[in-house]
Formats: sequence, C-alpha cells, structure tokens
Amino acid sequence: MAVQNIIKVAARRREATLGFWERVYIFEVVRGLWITTEHFVGNLYYHILKLFGIIKVHPLTPTIQYPEEQRTLAPRLRTLHRLVRREDGSPRCVACMMCETVCPALCIKIVAAEGDKPQIEKRPKSFDIDMGRCIFCGYCVEACPEDAIRMDTGILDIAAYSREGMVLDIDTLLSLQPAQRRTDKEVDELQRRLLQ
Amino acid sequence: MGSATVKLTIDGREVEVPSGTRVIEAAKKLGIEIPHYCYHPALSIAGSCRMCLVEIEKFPKPAISCHTVAADGMVVHTDSGVAKQARAAMLEFLLANHPLDCPICDQAGECKLQQYYMTVGQYDSALLDNKVKKSKAKIIGPHVMLDSERCILCSRCVRFTDEISKSHELGIFNRGDHSELSNYPGMSLDNPYSGNVVDICPVGALTDRDFRFKVRVWYLDSAPSICHGCARGCNIRVDYLTRRLHHNDGKRIARFKPRFNPEVNGHWICDAGRYSYKTLEDEDRLYNPRVTDGNGDNPGWNAITGRIADALSSHISEYGVGSVAVIASASMTNEEMWAARQLFYDGLKIEKIAWRIPPGPDDIDDDLLIRADKNANTFGAEQIFGPMTHAADVQQVLDKIAEGKIKAWIVLDRDLSPAFGEEKIRKLTGGLKFSLYAGSHLHATSRSCRFLLPTAVFTEKEGTITNFSGRVQYFPLVVPPLGDALPMLEALSRLSAALKLEPISTDPGAVFTALAGDIAHFKGTSYAELIKRWAPISKIPS
Amino acid sequence: MNAVLYWTSTIAKSAYILVFPLTLAFFLAWAERKQSAVMQDRIGANRAKFLGRPFLGLVHMVCDAVKMFVKEDFVPDSGHRVLHTLAPFLAMFFALITFAVIPFGYQLTIAGETIGLQVADLNVGILFIFAMASLGVYGMVLAGWSSNNNYALLGGIRASAQMISYEICIGMTIIGAILALGTLSMQDLVIRQGYHYFGWLPRWGVLLQPLGFLLFFIAGIAETKRVPFDMPEGESEIIGFNLEYSSMKFAMFLFTDFIETVLIAAVTVTLFFGGWQIPWLFESGFVWPWGGGWEIHPNVVNILRMAAFAAKVTFFCWLMMAIRWTLPRFRYDQLMDLGWKWLLPLSLANIVVTALVVLLVN
Ligand code: SF4
Ligand code: SF4
Ligand code: SF4
Ligand code: SF4
Ligand code: FES
Repeated sequence: MAVQNIIKVAARRREATLGFWERVYIFEVVRGLWITTEHFVGNLYYHILKLFGIIKVHPLTPTIQYPEEQRTLAPRLRTLHRLVRREDGSPRCVACMMCETVCPALCIKIVAAEGDKPQIEKRPKSFDIDMGRCIFCGYCVEACPEDAIRMDTGILDIAAYSREGMVLDIDTLLSLQPAQRRTDKEVDELQRRLLQ
Repeated sequence: MGSATVKLTIDGREVEVPSGTRVIEAAKKLGIEIPHYCYHPALSIAGSCRMCLVEIEKFPKPAISCHTVAADGMVVHTDSGVAKQARAAMLEFLLANHPLDCPICDQAGECKLQQYYMTVGQYDSALLDNKVKKSKAKIIGPHVMLDSERCILCSRCVRFTDEISKSHELGIFNRGDHSELSNYPGMSLDNPYSGNVVDICPVGALTDRDFRFKVRVWYLDSAPSICHGCARGCNIRVDYLTRRLHHNDGKRIARFKPRFNPEVNGHWICDAGRYSYKTLEDEDRLYNPRVTDGNGDNPGWNAITGRIADALSSHISEYGVGSVAVIASASMTNEEMWAARQLFYDGLKIEKIAWRIPPGPDDIDDDLLIRADKNANTFGAEQIFGPMTHAADVQQVLDKIAEGKIKAWIVLDRDLSPAFGEEKIRKLTGGLKFSLYAGSHLHATSRSCRFLLPTAVFTEKEGTITNFSGRVQYFPLVVPPLGDALPMLEALSRLSAALKLEPISTDPGAVFTALAGDIAHFKGTSYAELIKRWAPISKIPS
Repeated sequence: MNAVLYWTSTIAKSAYILVFPLTLAFFLAWAERKQSAVMQDRIGANRAKFLGRPFLGLVHMVCDAVKMFVKEDFVPDSGHRVLHTLAPFLAMFFALITFAVIPFGYQLTIAGETIGLQVADLNVGILFIFAMASLGVYGMVLAGWSSNNNYALLGGIRASAQMISYEICIGMTIIGAILALGTLSMQDLVIRQGYHYFGWLPRWGVLLQPLGFLLFFIAGIAETKRVPFDMPEGESEIIGFNLEYSSMKFAMFLFTDFIETVLIAAVTVTLFFGGWQIPWLFESGFVWPWGGGWEIHPNVVNILRMAAFAAKVTFFCWLMMAIRWTLPRFRYDQLMDLGWKWLLPLSLANIVVTALVVLLVN
C-alpha cells in the first residue's frame, strides 16, 4: 500500500506537473504555515499545561531527556562487549583469535598464553578491544566458538579523555555484567509509559 | 610387466606413467589431488588411513590409491559417487574420537582434517557415543608436543623416525580405538631432525613447542628462502608477520619450514636450521651505526662512513696497507664477497682477507643433511677470495696481530669468540690501532671494535649463496631491515664512496653479473636464471 | 516647549526605541530555538539552569551571550583589520538607526506639553528607511572583503546582489503605499490609516494595497537574510560572508538579522497594519460601530496604542519566525528569478494601478 503510494508520488514527480496554484507558491506557503502553526499551537497548549503542573507528560513530544530518562533497549541490541567467565571465574575465552580475525575494524588484540589450570590449555594473556575503532558489527560475537564474548552489557555511553582510554583491557571486559534482562511485557510497558 | 610405462585413465583423462607408479602419483601428474593422510612420497607406504580410496573399474571394492600400483588400461574414478561416499565415511570414522580442539589447536588453518572436512566431509554427524579420552599436551621431546586425542594414527611420524632419522623413538601402542601414539619408554624425541614430524603430521597431534600459541597461522605470510645454518643451504619457507605484531612477541619472523627441493634437502630440514630464525631479531641486533668510545649517540650513516674513511686512510698512510687485515664471514652472499674484494683488494690493496675457521670438534657431517661447516657460503669464499688473498685462515691473522705485524682489522659480520675465546679476542683487539665491524649483531668481537656499522640479516636482503657442492641458490628479501641497518652490499658501497674509490653497485643482480664474468665457477650462470629456479611454495605440507 | 522636557523626552524616546528592538531581538534569538522546537514536536533548549530551573530555556541565551563575549576574537592575518572590525558595527548601526523614524505611538500630553511618540518625525521618513536599509549592505560586503577569504568574499557578493535586488522591490511597493496614503511622513501614514470604511472597517494599508503588502513582506524577509533567503550566510552549507568572524563580532551579525526582523515587522505594521492604531479607538476612547463607546483618558489611549504597536510587531516577528522554520531555502537562481521576474514587475504594475485608481478617485 505504502509502497504503491511512494511509486505513485515518484511517478507524479517525474511528470513534474505542478498546477498553476502550486506554482504560484504563495498558497502552498500558506498551507505549509498552516501545518506548522497547528503543531505550534497544539504543542504550546500542552507545554503550558505542563508548565503549570496540570499534566506530567507532554503527549505530543517524544523527546527522551537523556541521561535522566533512557530509552528501553531492545534485548538484542549490540552494546559494549564483555568477556564471559566460566563457573570458576576464569575467562571462557581460549584465545582462538576468531574474533580478532573476523573483526573488520581490526580493534581486537589478543595475546595467547599457556593455560594456568590443568583443564585449560590455552588462555588469553591480554585481550584488548579498542572501542574507539569498534563499529559494533557484532561479528566477534558471531565468530566466537566458545560463547566467550557477548555484547549485552546495555552500556552505550562509552567515552574517554584519550585514545588509550578507549582501549578496554581483559580485566575491565571480564568485570562487566550483562544488562538487566526485561521481559517483553516490561519492555512494552516502559515504551508505553515513555510515549504517553 | 614388460614395458617401462603403463597407460591408465583417471577421471576420463589418459596418463602415461612409469610402471610401478602408485595411482595417487599418477593422479598428481594430472593435477588431481586425492585426499590422503598417511601417504608421504618420502616415506614407505602404510595404507592405514584409508582416506585415499578411489573407485577402480573391475575392482570389487574401492581401493586405496596410495598403494595400488597403476596398471595398463586401468580406469580410475576419483570423483564418482562411490569414491566420494567412501571418503566421507572414512573421514567420519577418523573424526569419531577427534576432539573439538580447533580453537586451541596450533594446526588450525593448515590442518588436513579441517581442509578435507570442508571439501569432502559429511556434515551431519551420526555418532552418539562419547569420545575416547587420551593424553593431551604431552611433551615428547625438546621441540615437539603430542596431543594423542588429535592423532589419526597415520603413522607418518613413526615411519619418519624409523626410515629417515633412524632414531626409532616413536611407536603406536594399544589396540582398537585405544591405540595411541607415544615415544618408547625412556626415549625422548630428540634427534636432530625431530621438528620434521611436526611438518609431516597432517593434523595437530604433533605441534612445535617453540611455535606454540605464538601466532595463528593465517596471520602469516610466506616467502621462499635458503637456510644459512650450514653449508648445505636447505631450501626453506620463511613464515612472517607484517601486521598484528602484538603476536609472536612483536617479532616479524615466526618460523622456518622446509621447502621441497629434491636436489638439496628433499622434504626435510634439521632442527638447528629450523630454530636459527631466533637469532634474526633477538635483542643483540645492532640497530644503529656506532662509535664505541663515542658518546653513544647515533652519528648516522653519512657521518660515520666519513669518519671511518678518514681514520682508515690516515692509518694506511702511517702504518702501510700491509698492517690491515679483513676478516670476512663465510656466510656473506657471493655478491657481498665480490664487493668486499673490489673494495678492499682492488681499491685499498689490502691483501689479507681471511674467512677460514676450521669446524669445531662437535661439528661433523652426518649422512642426511647436516654439514660440519656452519657457514653458508664457504664454497663461494674459496672461489672469490681464494685466488687473491695472502691469509685465508683467520688463525694466521690473529697470529700476526699478536706479533704486532697487523695493527688494524675490518670484521665483516662474524663473531670470532666462539672459535677463539672471548678473552683472546678482546686482548688482541685492544692492541689494534683501527678496528671496524660491519655486521648484524652485537657480540664479543663487535663490542671490542671502534666503529660499528649495522647490516641486515639474510631475511632482510636478497642475494645468492653457494652450498658445499657448488650449487648457487638465490634468496629474496622477506622483510625490510630493522632500525638503520642496511644490506652489507649497500654498506660496502657507502664505504667505498666515502673512501672515494670505484663505485660499487648496490644491486645484487648487477654485482652477480660482474662476478660471473670473472670467477670461473659462476661463469655461464645468470641471476635471472637463479631467480627462476627459486621454487614456488605451497602452504600445506605434503 | 521647555528645554528640560524636550531633552528628557527625546532621551527617553531614544532609549525606548533602542531598547525595544534589542529586547525583542534577544527574545527572537530565544524564540529561534524554542519556537522551532515547539513547531517540530521537540522540547528545545532546557539543559542550562539557573537556581536549578531552566526558565523556559532563557538561561541558555544568557550562557550564549557569556560564551560569545569570552571567545577568542579572531581576525585573519591577511585580512584588513580595521574594516574587519568595522563591518559588524556598520551592519548593526544601520539596522538600529532606522528605528528613529518609526512612530511607536501617537503622542502623550505631559504638563500641558504634547510629545510626539517618534524620535525623529522626518517629513521624508520613508525615504530615510530606504536609504539606511541600503547602506546596511555595506556591512556584509566589507565583512566578506576584509576577511581575505574567497568563500567570505563570495558570500558578501551574494549578499549584496540579493539585497540590492530586493531593495528595488521594497522601494516600489513603498511607493504604492505612499501613493495610496498620500504622504511621506511616517507619522502621517499611520494617522491616515485611522479612518474607517463604512464606519467599521479600519482603513489599514493592507486594504488599500493587498498586493503591495505581500510583495513588501516577501522582499522584507529577503532583506533580513534569513531562511528561505539565507544564501548570504548559508550557515552550514554554502558558507557566507561571516565565515572569518568569531566571538562578539559574529554575534553582532547574528543579532543584526534579528534586529532587521524586528525592523521589517515594524515597517510592515506602520505601512500596512495601521501602525499604533487600534480599530474604533479614538483620541477620547472607543466608539463602537454599533453605537455607544467607552470614555478613556487620552494618555491611557496613547499608552494602549503603544502597546498595540508592540503587539503587532511581535506578531509579525512570530510570523517571520514561523516562515523561517517552515520553508526550505531557495536556490540562488530561483531567488533572482523571484526578485527580478516576479516581484519587480508585479510591484511596477501595483504602482501603475494604484496611481490610476488614485487619479480616478480624486
Ligand atoms: S563488534 Fe565488530 S568491530 Fe567491534 S570488536 Fe566486534 S568484530 Fe570488531
Ligand atoms: S573468538 Fe571467543 S574464544 Fe576465540 S579469542 Fe575471541 S573471545 Fe576468545
Ligand atoms: S588437528 Fe585439525 S581438526 Fe583436529 S583440532 Fe587441530 S585443527 Fe582441529
Ligand atoms: S602424530 Fe600425526 S603423524 Fe604421527 S601418527 Fe598421529 S597423526 Fe600421524
Ligand atoms: S593415504 Fe592411502 S591409506 Fe592413507
């Protein structure tokens, strides 16, 4: 339906047949002004109500006041990486370099070492991700054969005062926790509250 | 078997091979690779892996192509349904007890199991039973580590120790799916060729302890080269890193592997040569030109060659040219030797160019590859310096220094201390009026010289060397020189420019042409031809 | 009139006519952000806070002013230092001086003396406006030239071409208004709009000159150099004459635009919307068309009239702001087409028709 409309509009454009009244433009300007003024008046009305505390949420303005308000993240959204631990706390990563190899931004640097426990043969001695270069493609997560790297911390505000500061080392990556999982119902609820 | 050749048809194409040829070799002649594990052209035939099954018409069952001798009129199908099915089933069988180790297996990326799994494998496993556990990460020798779970019992390594190194350390023990490769009790895999079992092991069962976890093989680039470890001049493949230098401890050269050359080394190299790459980028490398009694900063090539030229000229005018000796390394390339001869003999008229040091008592020729002479190009030195020098033996020069007849020396890329003792070298150089060292490393000899020029190691330059049998072999530049180091040819050329002598070309090809025009042994050889002979490399060993 | 009263009243009037546009311009800068936000379903600036309250985003404007003051004042090395400094002052000066002839009210009677609510009642006031507005273009041209930067120079040239084109149209439409109302004095223009047709329809200029109003308003927006006519500045895309300006000098150019907006609004109101006139309000109070009325003290009447003027100007400022946030920018050739091929012929026709009508009616 919508697609057909777009096609129709495009076809009309190609013909470039603006009518006389459209070409005069003044009336089109007035029409445009009418639309913007409608919005202006409507919004202003609610802004004033809100100013005097009559309503709490502006119903027409979807602005989210970051960082006080935060958008509900989709459960599958790719956010800051973390390294998953085994039950005994050691990293699950076996330094196979799959993620380093697949990373299109070349931002993962792993140095492998002999394992430190009898059942672990190979482990990462260091594991750096340069968040300044990462493009959040998630290939590293896809490539990992050990499910050792995930992008589910829910952290999006990654900033530092220097380039070096953007490089996260293995200890940082291991210390991160997965974001609180919300059920679909909770997500809906939150979304509705925000859009009220 | 009357005739000397037989004609057979493989996959619809006819091929003529000498009688007695195995079908797998006949197929290779047609460019058809039949998957195989246990077959190795340099070893006896075991027929244990059954991976090379092909369909042969009129045979009741698929036959192993590594053992079946080609016969006249034979019709072979390597790609028919029967052959494919046989292979897939065989691979499934081999993988039945194979661990899921690829992420931590150093073989991954050059593993024949992985390769054939991708090309001929059966993707859906039908196996439900638990895998048999065996010993893992077991050290079986100074260089080799064994993971029995990954072993597919092809017995290549056993045959190698039995037939090639003749040291008989390895065997297969137990029966059935508990069969396990191991070294015999009380024996360690420590023969001088032990590294080769890593190369021939088609899977990651035998891995190199030195290379372990250093870098993933797919990060490596490869270049063909010639080992400089002894006078044999084995053909090698240099595996090196250009990016991701956080691997391999930040070094570029990661390992040496043998490169097949039936006329020199066959499929093998010795361990000494295999691990000789370590010295190429060790912490003793000389990076900058230096003056040892100077204030320690880097004067730069132009300044230091100027100062060397001044010091050398004033020394010669004071004590005469007879008081100067050159000690060359017998591992320099033919071109560098020729340039040294041009500079020091033709230019400066120095008549004492020494290179000969007799091998130590432990160095002996063995009957496989290892040569007692640990210099890569002694043959070339004999040809190039031999006819003109008045002192070929380094011992002679040292004696003359002790007598006080020689007051200056120029050492080209050689450490004399292992042969003559550190103490002695230091004492002798102490009495010299002028000493110059041009070479790649810092050691007792170079440290006691006054002027130090950094030069490139063999992977950082190109040239030709002549092995003990007189075979001239070309090797290319693999990685650029470290620091301010320059190839020896370039260093000599700059020195000659500073001394205002005949210019020396820095192009090895041009120098070789000049050399070939003069020295009888090289007559008729062209540089271009040598480059052509430099064999291409394949990443996956046979 | 006694001298004390004369001087105090003159100073007070000058102060008023300075403070009025400047304050309005300040609020326009605020409206620029807030009004656009409200029109676009956004919230707009609200992060800067004073005593924990954002005060409708007004704190932002104060912060902006502070920022503008403390920023580095940059003059290009190869530029002309004197002219570079002079340019923003010129632009601002000519915009502000024009207000001198705008009648912001009728008159007040204080201590028996009558004080006209206009700084200078020139009998050729309308020509004065025209002259000063034309001089304003020097600010842009000098800014472009003295920066010694190709982009700035091109911006300056674009500015002068555009402003000259549209000034012609402004001049022509003003002539129409003058013909219709028959005077050149600004105050008289307003007084003559105080009559009513049929006793109830105020005889504002827009009724006499509907086309004239339209043309004047369009050309006026073009004079303010704001969207959809903002080619001279073209803030982020085509780079304008103020490229090499920073700090307070840049702010002055920015402010000049807002002052010009107020100016165009004021002139529009004066010429076409009865200036300070309020329908049915006469010197002695309201007289309803349907009979009866309210008696009001004349001074109160005049204060009401001043308020009416301010309210009308504010409305037109709002309208211009709404237009600025509704329309996309013209292409330069469209701009020139519009100026020369449409506005100019139409305004010429407007003069001819007006003249004929005036001739016939008289
Ligand atoms: S998300 Fe993509 S770019 Fe970022 S580390 Fe993973 S693979 Fe590299
Ligand atoms: S892919 Fe997974 S196991 Fe392999 S190195 Fe990366 S995080 Fe570690
Ligand atoms: S031997 Fe090959 S298939 Fe087996 S774990 Fe190693 S890489 Fe993987
Ligand atoms: S260790 Fe390797 S070469 Fe030896 S039998 Fe096992 S798979 Fe074959
Ligand atoms: S290669 Fe033929 S049986 Fe192994």
